[in-house]
Amino acid sequence: MERQEIIDGLVEILKTVRTIDQEKLQNLTEETDFIADLKTPSTEMINIAAKAEQKFDVEFEDDDIDDLGSTVKDIVDLIIRTKERA
Amino acid sequence: MAAEGRRVAIVGMGGAFPNCKDLSEFKQKLFAGESLIRDWDEARAHGKNIRSTVSGYITEAEMGLEAIYSTLAAGYPETYIDHLGRIPDGNLSTADVGSIWSMIGSQEAIKMAGWSDAETESEQTGVVIGSGGAGHVILRTAWHNFFELKRKTRIAGSHTVDRAMVYRDAANVSCLIKNKGVCEAIGSACATGLGNIGYAYRLIKFGIQDRVVAGGVEGTSLETFIGFDAMQVLSKGFAAGESSRPFDTSRNGFVCSFGCGIVALEEYEMAKARGAKILAVIDNYHNNSDGAGNMFFPSFSGQKRLWKGLIGDLQIKPEVVKVHGTSTPVGDAIELLSVVDIMGDEGYHISAPKSQFGHMLGAAGAVELITSILMLEKQQVLPCLNSDVLNPEPESFQKSPEWEGPEKPLEGYRHLISKEIVRKEINQIVCLNYGFGGTNSAMSISKHL
Repeated sequence: MERQEIIDGLVEILKTVRTIDQEKLQNLTEETDFIADLKTPSTEMINIAAKAEQKFDVEFEDDDIDDLGSTVKDIVDLIIRTKERA
Repeated sequence: MAAEGRRVAIVGMGGAFPNCKDLSEFKQKLFAGESLIRDWDEARAHGKNIRSTVSGYITEAEMGLEAIYSTLAAGYPETYIDHLGRIPDGNLSTADVGSIWSMIGSQEAIKMAGWSDAETESEQTGVVIGSGGAGHVILRTAWHNFFELKRKTRIAGSHTVDRAMVYRDAANVSCLIKNKGVCEAIGSACATGLGNIGYAYRLIKFGIQDRVVAGGVEGTSLETFIGFDAMQVLSKGFAAGESSRPFDTSRNGFVCSFGCGIVALEEYEMAKARGAKILAVIDNYHNNSDGAGNMFFPSFSGQKRLWKGLIGDLQIKPEVVKVHGTSTPVGDAIELLSVVDIMGDEGYHISAPKSQFGHMLGAAGAVELITSILMLEKQQVLPCLNSDVLNPEPESFQKSPEWEGPEKPLEGYRHLISKEIVRKEINQIVCLNYGFGGTNSAMSISKHL
């Protein structure tokens, strides 16, 4: 799965999170920080991770979620790493 | 103890009311003598597994709300959209339906009160709102996915705590209005609504806060309904509008309803000084327990002590007694006789507004206080719908040698209970509510002169 394909899928998830400023999703890059740039409430991060598991058909380890950073790159890396592990 | 000279005014109100889009429609329908109770399709969908199918319920659409369902857990409302743009998305994300109603009701009450942002956000402004809350779809779905479907905790997302915790309504309102004073919830079953307002009254009366947003809420929830349905205490066998029938001989249970009542309270002299419209003045609040060791059965002596505590050395001679009047066989009889024992049998009317909208549980006392404020404003006593025939025979407990209350059967007090609206001078109303566990609450309010 290509990284851009994952980012596009993440954008689809983020569109469903009503507490995120939707306009900022237009310029999303791997460096975009969910909390600093998108002002995502920290409590929403686990919801985004759970929806990513469903969308990309993966199951994250709890430790990986605990250690997850807050940039788009961090979650793209985790999805790829988890897929490779499977 | 009460701080010298402090009185408490009611300066705003709002909420969510069955089959009504807002407070103004609620007022219009009440004083048109309408019933707000309907057949509930959500209950009816469960066929023979549920006894009662009538309720004063409120749908999401009726409140201008829409649930956004999770893609992870079937039937789980992940958040809500407010199509009327009242509540920001961030606040909606931490709220269940009842908390959203509380936020909407608080906005309305504060607007009516005319508080400035500085006043609302002050350290002297508190929030005290509670719910009866026996569970709702948030908890049910979270638990079902974890316990039955054996799925991870994160499937229900990170908002099950804030949307289900006991003081969720108060917390959500506080986060919305950004007050810096007290934020708490009082729970006392079906006395919760009046109990929260009574506690808020004391906060002001005792000099702890100058303003409090207070009330009770019970979000529409089949989860709550089925618990009472199982107890066989809900009305059954009548058409919707005839199912809540306080004091009538054929009453066989209460109508489980939902709603929200919020009032804005303010220290009287402060409200007066800023030229606020004072809807009513609270004369006193008193609450107690039966001390009878019985979770469910009402206590004649407990209710009499409640009255004595309320009256104290004050002049309390209401033209209307707004009773709890649930339409249950024993509750209504004990209550009517305790009122008569204290008040005598003339000079006042009894109002049982649950005849029009059912029993809103944790919201009941708050919505019925609002109903009483409306009676003060309109100078009309609301009708006790369906109170067709009062028992001409004494109740079985009246025949007991231990009984020390009035001996006449309920029919002897027919003149106190009107099926039609009564127009008369109303200066004072006493509001009564009771709850499981033998808890009793009473508040007296007066017209501002």
